[in-house]
Amino acid sequence: MPSFLIEAKGLSKNYGKVIAVNRLDLRVAEGSVMGLIGPNGAGKTTTIKIVLGLLRPDGGEVEVFGQRPWDNPNIRTLIGVVHEKAYFPAHQKTLDYLQRVCRIFGVAEDRALEVLKLVNLKEASDRPIRALSAGMLQKFAIAHALVHKPQLVIADEMTANLDPQARSNLLDLVAELHKRENVTFLLSSHILPELSRVCDSVAIISLGKVLASGNLVELYDKFTARVLRISTDKPEVLAQAVKRLSYVQSVDADSRGITVKVAEGAEEKLYEDVPSLAKEIEAKILGIESGSASLEELYRLVVTKGGAG
Amino acid sequence: MKEKKSKGRPFLEIFASSLQEDYRFPLLEFFAFLYALGTFVFANISVGFTGVGGLEESSVYGLVSSLMSLPLFIFMILIFKNIAYGLGSDLEKGTIQTIFSYPLKRYAILTAKLLSAIGAALLVLFGIQVFALLVLAPDMILPYMAVVLATYLASLSYPLLLASIILLVTLLIRKGGLAIVIGIVLFFAGSIFQSLAIFLAMVSRSPLLLQILSVVNPSIAMQYHYYNLSVFVGENLNGETIWAPTFTEVLVYIGAGYALVIAVLLLSYYFFSRRLNL
Repeated sequence: MPSFLIEAKGLSKNYGKVIAVNRLDLRVAEGSVMGLIGPNGAGKTTTIKIVLGLLRPDGGEVEVFGQRPWDNPNIRTLIGVVHEKAYFPAHQKTLDYLQRVCRIFGVAEDRALEVLKLVNLKEASDRPIRALSAGMLQKFAIAHALVHKPQLVIADEMTANLDPQARSNLLDLVAELHKRENVTFLLSSHILPELSRVCDSVAIISLGKVLASGNLVELYDKFTARVLRISTDKPEVLAQAVKRLSYVQSVDADSRGITVKVAEGAEEKLYEDVPSLAKEIEAKILGIESGSASLEELYRLVVTKGGAG
Repeated sequence: MKEKKSKGRPFLEIFASSLQEDYRFPLLEFFAFLYALGTFVFANISVGFTGVGGLEESSVYGLVSSLMSLPLFIFMILIFKNIAYGLGSDLEKGTIQTIFSYPLKRYAILTAKLLSAIGAALLVLFGIQVFALLVLAPDMILPYMAVVLATYLASLSYPLLLASIILLVTLLIRKGGLAIVIGIVLFFAGSIFQSLAIFLAMVSRSPLLLQILSVVNPSIAMQYHYYNLSVFVGENLNGETIWAPTFTEVLVYIGAGYALVIAVLLLSYYFFSRRLNL
């Protein structure tokens, strides 16, 4: 039975008439790397801000380490935060400021230089924070989040502004911290291939609601087992024909084939019916595959189909 | 998993960090410090001057209030800047989100910020002023410590009220530049309104406006308490006394002034701690 570091139930938050978060449920298990994914305006940042105690929800409850984040600042000793837009006291030097943060959290000041090295920012240790480039500032924000050795890291678009090499290094660092120190991560990002590299679970969020969440392997099973990819020379015509089948829930056509989602238990039936349908419309079937999908495909399936499962 | 109590010293470090950010413009700080230091010079001259007239309460009041007026003005600009631009920028740019990731309650964060923005500036100002007065005119100051203290408290009440209002406005609008403009407008509008009210009080021969004004700015009550002792000031054109509050009444006005300051500060604290969504 996993213990959950973050448990949100029925969270709601409105900005005037705009519903940012709509009865959202979210659980982040201890020791997991969870990706929070969704389109722009889905409510990811609002959710993260509520979890961090920066925003009060209009409804629902959230507990982080079993405490309400707004009222219990001591839990912040366990949390590292990377905000979407990082701002620090601009006139202080990077190393000086991190040493100050060490003193805030009561960790040895040596740790400041250690984390600067960890994010390849040692050469900027003597620079004022205002003199850092956007990418360096992002690295600094990550160093700042890790300086007190948190058990949970919450990061909103952590890899924004980083070059490909720095992104890759950072993902390696996430994987290493997770493996070596069992640090739990909640990562929000638009860059799904990156998340798929490090995440073992995801929460897919759209219009303020979690459409699907859980272990990535289980989600793939749940959402892609009933999805079949049929390669054909006449995708549009085959799509129209397949749509007529009563157990087909959705069909998407592209230039090389169609992606079909069927009702539970109907996969075999589709295998049986497709050859005869193809014969009727004189289309060539070049292949039928099922079950495998990238995180991007999973995301697209869940978001476009509303996570009906 | 249990939360752990921080072994660090977040309050002191946030205070120190705020000091570093608040007092980084050398020009304003330099002038403020210069004016505060100038007290030494002014105190020397004033002591020599008032010494001729004897060591009366009114002379002590006159000395302290005249020594403080200009430096206090400079320091108030510095304080308004610290609150509106310093805290305002933190809110506007999002630095406050970073500060909110530290293990400290919101009220303590605001206290650390205000100690830097207001406390440190006033400490320098009054530290130098009191030191100067004690060094240069101990015989004059020491017997009248109650007057000195009341003069300082009365003089500080109105600027602190303005600073509290600017703090509340800054928290509400979260725009550093706009907040400082509002602060300056408020300061000058207040000055104009006070002059107008004093003029109207003289014309109408009614102390009511002065009394109302003294709740907001107790230094007016203090002024009329001492000006009544002299020949011209505090009387209307016909030589009638408009208003002559007793020292006890002055203390009540000082208390009322600080009650206002505390009320606005409490509102700011409540908003910052319970309502400020980032």
